Amino acid sequence: MDQASIIIIMVVIVALPVVMTPVLMYICRISDRLRNGLAILTAAATFILTLLLYPFIRDGGVVQQSLFEILPNLEISIHLDILSFSLAALASFIWLLCTIYSIDYMAKEHACSRYYPVLIFTLGACQGIFFAGDLFSLFVFFELMSIIAYILIIHEQTEEALKAGYKYLVMTIIGGLALFFGIIIVFEIGGTVSLGVGVIIGEPSLLALIAFICFLIGFGMKAGMFPLHVWLPDAHPVAPSPASALLSGVMLKTGAYGLIRVVFHVYSVDLLRSSGWNNILAILAVITILLGSAVALTQTDIKRRLAYSSISQLGYVLLGLSILNNNALTGAVFHIFSHAFMKSALFLAAGAIIWKTGIRNINDMKGLGRLMPVTMGSFSLAALAMIGIPPLNGFLSKWTLALGALDAGMPGYVMVLLISSLLNALYYLPIIIPAFFESPEGEEINDHGDEGSHEVLFKIKEATPLMLSAIVILALCTIFFGLTPNNIIFSLSRLTALFLLGGGSF
Amino acid sequence: MESAGHQPVLIIVTLLISAFLSPLLYRWRKFLSGMVLLAALTGAFVTALTLLGQVARSGELSYYLGNWPPPWGIELVIDPLRVYMLLVVTGVSLWIFVYALRDLEHELHHDVIGWYYSLYALLVASMSAMTLTNDLFNLFVLMEICAISACAIITIKDKRECLEAGFKYLIMSAMGTGCFLLGVAMIYMVTGYLNFSFIQTGLAAALSEYPLNIFTAAALFIVAFGTKAALFPLHVWLPDAHASAPSPSSAMLSGLVIKIYAFALFMIFYRVFPRSLLDAIPLNEIILWLGAMGVMFGSIYAMLQTDLKKMLAYSSIGQIAFIFMGIGLDQPLALTGGLYHIMVHAFTKSMLFMSAGAIIYSTGVRRISDLAGIGRVLPIPLLAFTIGSASMIGLPGTGGLISKWYLALGALETGRIFFLLVILASSLLNAIYYMPIVINAFMSGDEFKEKVKTVPPSMQATLVVGILLVVISGIFSRQIIVLFEQALTSLY
Repeated sequence: MDQASIIIIMVVIVALPVVMTPVLMYICRISDRLRNGLAILTAAATFILTLLLYPFIRDGGVVQQSLFEILPNLEISIHLDILSFSLAALASFIWLLCTIYSIDYMAKEHACSRYYPVLIFTLGACQGIFFAGDLFSLFVFFELMSIIAYILIIHEQTEEALKAGYKYLVMTIIGGLALFFGIIIVFEIGGTVSLGVGVIIGEPSLLALIAFICFLIGFGMKAGMFPLHVWLPDAHPVAPSPASALLSGVMLKTGAYGLIRVVFHVYSVDLLRSSGWNNILAILAVITILLGSAVALTQTDIKRRLAYSSISQLGYVLLGLSILNNNALTGAVFHIFSHAFMKSALFLAAGAIIWKTGIRNINDMKGLGRLMPVTMGSFSLAALAMIGIPPLNGFLSKWTLALGALDAGMPGYVMVLLISSLLNALYYLPIIIPAFFESPEGEEINDHGDEGSHEVLFKIKEATPLMLSAIVILALCTIFFGLTPNNIIFSLSRLTALFLLGGGSF
Repeated sequence: MESAGHQPVLIIVTLLISAFLSPLLYRWRKFLSGMVLLAALTGAFVTALTLLGQVARSGELSYYLGNWPPPWGIELVIDPLRVYMLLVVTGVSLWIFVYALRDLEHELHHDVIGWYYSLYALLVASMSAMTLTNDLFNLFVLMEICAISACAIITIKDKRECLEAGFKYLIMSAMGTGCFLLGVAMIYMVTGYLNFSFIQTGLAAALSEYPLNIFTAAALFIVAFGTKAALFPLHVWLPDAHASAPSPSSAMLSGLVIKIYAFALFMIFYRVFPRSLLDAIPLNEIILWLGAMGVMFGSIYAMLQTDLKKMLAYSSIGQIAFIFMGIGLDQPLALTGGLYHIMVHAFTKSMLFMSAGAIIYSTGVRRISDLAGIGRVLPIPLLAFTIGSASMIGLPGTGGLISKWYLALGALETGRIFFLLVILASSLLNAIYYMPIVINAFMSGDEFKEKVKTVPPSMQATLVVGILLVVISGIFSRQIIVLFEQALTSLY
């Protein structure tokens, strides 16, 4: 494919969901079924169009094209390289599954005529972030996505949701202002904010450091980095489960993506290494990992526990990024994928449980595995991947990250990863084990009245097939991309790392 | 310098004539009266557009009133910046007037609407002339007309609070014009000229001989325009005046009238004062600090308000201070930001006041806390309010971001990061007081309780136009910025 058609496809990928938003809003009035179908269709089309870019990417193609000059020297432009492609493909895939899952999950909910257009719009904004060709465009889409996602978070419109949403919105604005500050400093120093010029800031200076910290605040806030994670444990659990899955599974990654772009395209690896600024990121990442895992232990609400777990998992990505070598970066990019599959599966499974039984408290989940074997099975699989049990993809990312840490001569980081894995085990296993091996409290009395029966009773009360299909596909991904000998995602991650460290070629 | 056609004076004269005609026609045919003024305003806007074409072709033009050449006669100058301001004035006042046609029936007594049209025409005429005039005494006269008609469109609503606010405004404003006149006299004393360009050369020569006269005149000018444009701490009249006036008046006053004085101060600084004067005393520095304080205090006061229009009025104090910060930073990029903010804020704040007006029109609610759930019954006004808030915060895709971008860039260029932080902090404060209103209006679980009257289509249409203007000024700003860059390089 030539450049021109690639550019057209990229524009369509971003524009299609955005254009479909008003269409969906209109269709809502006519038919709910049509709306649902159209939403899935849009997400699917976006995913397929993104995959069309693969042959171009495999040949090492890079596109940088300015579309529209908004101010002198400041453009809306698009950029495509292997990193953009990987994340865009991942995002649209997860989005597709979550949209499919939403159909049944949201059927009982109110205000679906608001939910679907917003869901699809955020997809467009998210793809826009990954395809942005300069920091300014990235900022525009980043803000657009963050602010529109607010509507997903407060969907339930309860007092709790509104409170969490307000916190989220204020943090988003603060993050946005920090980004604005950072971008304007980069513009002042380098005269451009394009991602296509290689390195914009080559010399360490006070302003450059301020800009780096601003980016850390702006993107780190989104990625749930300590100490800016405070909004996350409130905001993710209150959203409807498919939205939680997207928030944790994909939208958090936009923060990590932004930081990767800043590290490799604004500053150079050499500059960060020689000035030691990457240590700021490393320290924050370590605190984030340990703190997220430790606090997750204390949560009893399943979605809150998952949200805290997301904080610690994104810490892995940031840690991998801060080490700045090949293995660590491969691990970080691969973990973006792994975590997206695992956490989306977990949130969707948790959503199915809440949807079917109304149980949110972990202590009430005893025996749930017999009630909902497929859901709980997928949940267990994803949870085991989180802990890092070998054949699953979580193991592969931790292994690669650990290799990277050792390459850099930092065995301390390996310890951090191990401690965090242990903590993961401590807070996931108490969900899984009772779910399968204990019987629900008072079940015998209520349902049969035959006290003292020790039979294992399977009384299947599963979620709908559509919901299950989304959960199962994600759970299978965790095995598949941990086990397969020809691991396409792992090789993509490896190539991405080579590409970024090699300054634009494999 | 080439001479222009008669368009500049035509704009002013047409508006003045329609100011006389409107109340007379109103007694005969009510509808016709409004249409005459609408036609005059449209004519003014279109003529301003032709002036833009002329300036683009042949650069700076001048027009001698009554064919008397300066320094004796009054000179009107048409240059890119003035035409820009003229377009903003005529365009925005046309847009607000379409809204006013329906809204006034609701807010005013029938007998006075004709007079309102007259005052409106006078106000627009004086503001248009103020953008073009190149003569200090002429500027003084126009300021008086502007002040009196502005006062009258507040007090025309015969409520106690309007009279009180109008009176306060009149006194403060008279003090401002008094200071200005004194300053003009002092300048005249040392130079013997009233024409801007002649004064500029004259002052450069006189600076060493009569420094005290000139410094005093400069101080008087700052006080004069500071009062008129509600620069902190001379803003005390503004909240009452803007909040109590009928909504179209509020939109005019907050959207245009305060800005015309900020623009006049900009003209005085860069077209009347020679560079040596600006270097000799830290005039810009004073404006900068007052501006920075205005930005912060305006936002902080606004947070404390419970009345919707009061809140918008206090927010104007913060926003006008951005324009002053642009002047204060004394740097082309910052000036670009400040001048661009004139337009952005004219669009945004007028739209916000109009949407507040639409809310009051249809429900009578003014208290912020009573707006829960109103977004579901009045979607367009509240959508306009949302977009306006976004522009106030400076979110991407709105004009607010562009002006903040340039102000921030100017602050960085001069190495004064503190002021950049002030700009960012004010954005955050704006977010904190605008967002809850929007959230509450759309997302609150409560249903809106009051009785709702439908908003007339013409009012809805003006709000939709407002949304488009705010968004367009955030996206298609390149041409205007380039125009500023060219115009401003000539100042340095």
